[in-house]
Amino acid sequence: MNFSFSDDQVLLRNSVRAALDEQCKPAHVRAMMEDSRGYGEALWGEMAKLGWLGLPFAEEYGGAGLGLVELCLVQEELGRAAYPGPFFASVVLGGLALMLGGSAAQKEKWLPAVAAGSARLSAALVEESLDWDPNATEATATRRGDGWALTGVKRFVPWAHVSDAVLVPARGPEGLSLFLVAPSVPGVSLRPMVGIDLANRWSEMRLEGATVNADAVIGRPGAAGPVLEALLRRAAVAASAEMLGAARRCLDMAVEYAKIREQFGQPIGSFQAIRHRCAEMLVSAENAHAAVYYAAWALNAGAEDAAMAASVCKSYVSEAARQVCGDAIQVHGGIGFTWEYDLHLYFKRAKALEPLFGDAEYHRELIARHVVA
Amino acid sequence: MDLNYTPEDIAFRKQVRAWLEQNLPREPIATLAQRRTWHRKLYEAGYLGMGWPKEYGGGGARPMEQAIVADEMARTNAPAPTNGLGLGIVGPTIVVHGSEAQKRRYLRKILTAEELWCQLYSEPNAGSDLASLKTSAVDQGDHFVVNGQKIWTSGGAIADWGLLLARTDPKVPKHKGITCFLMNMRQPGVDVRPLKQITGSSEFCEVFMTNARVEKSDQIGKLGEGWAIAQTTLGYERGGRSLARVTTYAAQYGCLANAARRLKRHGRPLSDDPIVRQKLGRIWADLEVERYSALRVLTHLERGEHPGAGGSVTKLSYSEFEKRFMELAEEILGPYGQLTEGAPPEYQLQIDTAVGERGTWAYAYLWSRAGTIYAGSSEIQKNVIGERILGLPKETRADRAGATR
Repeated sequence: MNFSFSDDQVLLRNSVRAALDEQCKPAHVRAMMEDSRGYGEALWGEMAKLGWLGLPFAEEYGGAGLGLVELCLVQEELGRAAYPGPFFASVVLGGLALMLGGSAAQKEKWLPAVAAGSARLSAALVEESLDWDPNATEATATRRGDGWALTGVKRFVPWAHVSDAVLVPARGPEGLSLFLVAPSVPGVSLRPMVGIDLANRWSEMRLEGATVNADAVIGRPGAAGPVLEALLRRAAVAASAEMLGAARRCLDMAVEYAKIREQFGQPIGSFQAIRHRCAEMLVSAENAHAAVYYAAWALNAGAEDAAMAASVCKSYVSEAARQVCGDAIQVHGGIGFTWEYDLHLYFKRAKALEPLFGDAEYHRELIARHVVA
Repeated sequence: MDLNYTPEDIAFRKQVRAWLEQNLPREPIATLAQRRTWHRKLYEAGYLGMGWPKEYGGGGARPMEQAIVADEMARTNAPAPTNGLGLGIVGPTIVVHGSEAQKRRYLRKILTAEELWCQLYSEPNAGSDLASLKTSAVDQGDHFVVNGQKIWTSGGAIADWGLLLARTDPKVPKHKGITCFLMNMRQPGVDVRPLKQITGSSEFCEVFMTNARVEKSDQIGKLGEGWAIAQTTLGYERGGRSLARVTTYAAQYGCLANAARRLKRHGRPLSDDPIVRQKLGRIWADLEVERYSALRVLTHLERGEHPGAGGSVTKLSYSEFEKRFMELAEEILGPYGQLTEGAPPEYQLQIDTAVGERGTWAYAYLWSRAGTIYAGSSEIQKNVIGERILGLPKETRADRAGATR
């Protein structure tokens, strides 16, 4: 039993933090908010060079062969920096989906390219209804020649506009299936969905009889359910790690500000109203840390309670991160509400991730199915 | 990071489980004599004072082994040993701060429950502001004479000895004038009266000291060091029981989920009501987070790190959780949750209480109000977290500089 990070894990976290402190300052985040593609190629290349983009892939596919705990360490740092770019979409959603369900040929084709940063992936996991249950998928797949024609509308597809291929669940004659679709093929159109977190990009992805080859199917036709469930759990935990990072940054900023901001002739942090709020924020952050890394470990180790741990994690951290980031604005007062001050970058990142891969209520219902029946 | 138990820990857990199956009392414990017998049995099996040094009767065991014993006892709903404060607070204080003679004189008898202990800290006018305590200990050459009143003394009525904080120097700032003593409770100058709580029961007492005598040899640490000693010992007990506490919560949760499946609203089981399911789901998530946190605390203890101010994070989190949990239980159980008598078995809580009596939901609900007050209220814990972990500035306080009177 050991719930602390290994020396290697600490080293990884420190090196990720150092690189992002240097290359992903708030000024960079703000610049990318205005950028048409939304992320910087230089930093992307650096992330590839440092091995982050292949971190969870097997070494035979150009990866580092590390696990979900390490992936969450990186995600936490990305949240702490409000990193703008397709890391989560490409490595977590696309990469892990291929790791979980892809054929050897598909992995060989895509994973080394994702790891090298030369290809980007994403996944289209939700439709109009916002139901994260894969069984709610309404998009359809029909046979066309040797391949398939896909029809449906996907929403909130992260970084689709810069993706080479997007994983698309659709219902075919064999049941729920997963396809790899290039947004550039005829019959696919993207429309930007601009949220409050401008450093994060979503698209609506419309498929109107878009044709893909037979080898675009991930796994067997009709067998996508378990792959999607496994992917959603990992995505929920990785998103929680990013929310945790955003919350940590907000807590740090609130505490620093409470030490220097004076009102009534003393630092506001000396008032219990502020100090107690900061203490509550720390408790939430520490609990969120425990929830994230327990779940990451459990999923990675295939522990009996892994699915439960993922739902505990997402339901707890979704609300804890929103609360901590919001409390940080409250501690700051007026300046925390200005565009110029950086706090809103992290506040919005946590908010953007909160409803994805199942919100707190979605996961509480999953928990209730286990423990209440 | 590896959250699997080691093969040694798994084997140890099996051994503890087997021992408990063999040795658990068949009948509920009704008298102090029975509880002492059970206590002695636990000690002889090596399950008490496990982390204390071997030369004073302890077991020299790892924190994980202690946690496993506590956890297995919670799992089997085993009665608690007696002398909880002796084991949890007094013994560890003597181990760390006591003289060699004190260790030899007192430790083993705590473990064997030959001598029962209480803690004499809080006073009517010194609660959260414990350092303002007024009970005095005056040097009479070969002994000290103690006068004053203590309150919230748990187990005071059965205690043979008390760990006492008293003021030995009223002329210095209040934190500097306090000394720590071991006081014999069985003497004419000590009067113990039970304090009836909102539970209707009396786990706590008031203690009145009128010219009570404390031997010079029973002073712990140096004169004026009492506050510092109390600070280090307040959180001793928290880590080792962290896992067991969650196991008890989980057993209680199981009872609650069963009740939710039987109770109905508008003709449908409560367990089908989405609002109830949301609330139950949230509490289970919170409970699991407490479990993960307990594993984190255990990791620190295993590495020999004292939790320090981190103990405040743990205590604040679990005590506030317990209140939310019990409030939900009451909401689901309705008037059944308030029954102290006559509850049908389906709506009873088949779990031991803090003092080892068969508990009711009503008692557990009322008792949950205590956790955020004792051993440093939630507000005090937040001050500790703010000042000692986050490094926020201290309040401007009027009482830091001057003498107490």
